[in-house]
Amino acid sequence: MMELARKYFRIWVRTASMAMQAQLTYRLGSFGFLAGKMIRLLFFFAFVVAIFKNVKEVAGYNLVETALFFLTFNVVDMSAQILFRGVYGARRIVSEGDFDFYLIQPCDPLFRMVFSTVDFLDIVTLVPVLVMVGMVFARLPPLGWTRYAAYAALVANGVALVYSIHVLVTGVAVRTQELENAIWIYRDVMFMGKFPVDVYAPAVRWALTFGVPIAVMTSFPSKALLGVLSPAWAAYAVGLNAALLALSARFWRGSVAAYTSSSS
Amino acid sequence: MRKYLVAYSISLQETLQRRSTLIMDRLGGFAVVLSLYSFWSALLGDKPSFLGYTRDEMISYVLVINVLRALVFTGRGWQLVGEISNGKISSYLVRPISYHAYALSLDLAQKSVHVVSAFFEVALLAAFIRGGLYLPGHLSTWLLFALSAILASLIFFFMEFIVSSLAFWTSESGGPLFCFELFLQFAAGAFFPLDVLPEFARRLLSATPFPYLVFFPARIFLEKVSTGEAARVLAIEAAWLAVFLAGALYIWRAGVSSYAAEGG
Repeated sequence: MMELARKYFRIWVRTASMAMQAQLTYRLGSFGFLAGKMIRLLFFFAFVVAIFKNVKEVAGYNLVETALFFLTFNVVDMSAQILFRGVYGARRIVSEGDFDFYLIQPCDPLFRMVFSTVDFLDIVTLVPVLVMVGMVFARLPPLGWTRYAAYAALVANGVALVYSIHVLVTGVAVRTQELENAIWIYRDVMFMGKFPVDVYAPAVRWALTFGVPIAVMTSFPSKALLGVLSPAWAAYAVGLNAALLALSARFWRGSVAAYTSSSS
Repeated sequence: MRKYLVAYSISLQETLQRRSTLIMDRLGGFAVVLSLYSFWSALLGDKPSFLGYTRDEMISYVLVINVLRALVFTGRGWQLVGEISNGKISSYLVRPISYHAYALSLDLAQKSVHVVSAFFEVALLAAFIRGGLYLPGHLSTWLLFALSAILASLIFFFMEFIVSSLAFWTSESGGPLFCFELFLQFAAGAFFPLDVLPEFARRLLSATPFPYLVFFPARIFLEKVSTGEAARVLAIEAAWLAVFLAGALYIWRAGVSSYAAEGG
């Protein structure tokens, strides 16, 4: 088992290193993308701060708490972007026939599809986000370590949920050679995770908790830290994660079984 | 003129033919509007007004920006970057057409479909929201708003054209275009009214063309500016349009003269 883990780590390091070299080669392009990501982060943060110069609370949360929700969304979203960036190239890999080669290599094709690209620009963007999360932690009243542990566990749970969604999308790419729509609709709907789920109407809240579980990915960790998430909801988050992982793995296996080589 | 009408017609048919892409596209935009509407709704709560906007006006601002985003921010920048990078632009250069007019025809077709969809989305949301909407009482306001929105759309088209033309000199123009588009959306007021920003930031942005793309047209719609002030906004928009039109033509000529038909 350890040997297998070492092997996949070596593959990840190699593909990540190649991705980094590509990004360093395209300096102007990478700088533009990095600057764009920073602008998006800073403008939204400035917007939240500017709003709270005029109001004390939004949906029962003050500035520090709202910032926590916004930053936690960014931690989950950026972590997924860093780790699962390979999914964005899945359609090309399938439609150009490269997926045939993935299938005959001694490496899990799903691993190659999902983890083969690492977005280092998001790593650079994640650093200031983590610093700001630290600043928000410092402004919260003293909380027990169990709250922080629950927060960390639910952030990891959120990233795992994003992984399952990416696997489902990759399965769709293998089955239909279509991807852009599915992944971009996910990106757009994720926008709703920037705000605490409590700002939404009950029907939308329900959809974000049980339908497309963006609230579970982005709002639950902050709620657990603030002590407003019951253990039952935390258990639901973990159960949902396990179910989605199993479902996405099954869907992926079915997609590969139905694959008949699309271009070669 | 006839050939551009044909290009418009073909592009319109293509856009309508790709129904799933269109629906997914609009669904993504709808998620953004729903998020912003929910956020402002939660923020306003029972308050009669916020930053000089009544509840009805603020909700209307969110809905109006959905229409403006569909009309203004659907340009041809990424297509131009792709066509220059892969050499496809060569085939347009040898045809008896103006590339700008051709691209504008395609853009208009896309905008036509997106604006009609945006109106449907706004109507759908308006049917479910709590409270009323602000609708201008004077016909002149509707005309001024329409004129202002059309000018904004043309300004964005030529502005994006200038940034995309960087592809004539570098294969890395995607990064700057990404950064430009993100900055533009925030600076234009496409996510929140610029009134939330501090005075100095508002003054700074007013000296740029960005607020004339969304913020000022929305203020005209909400009758937040007098007729004289609206006329001044239109005059400034016309001046910016002249600047960017001249700039786009100049850069195009310079770009084509240095173009090496890579991959063509």
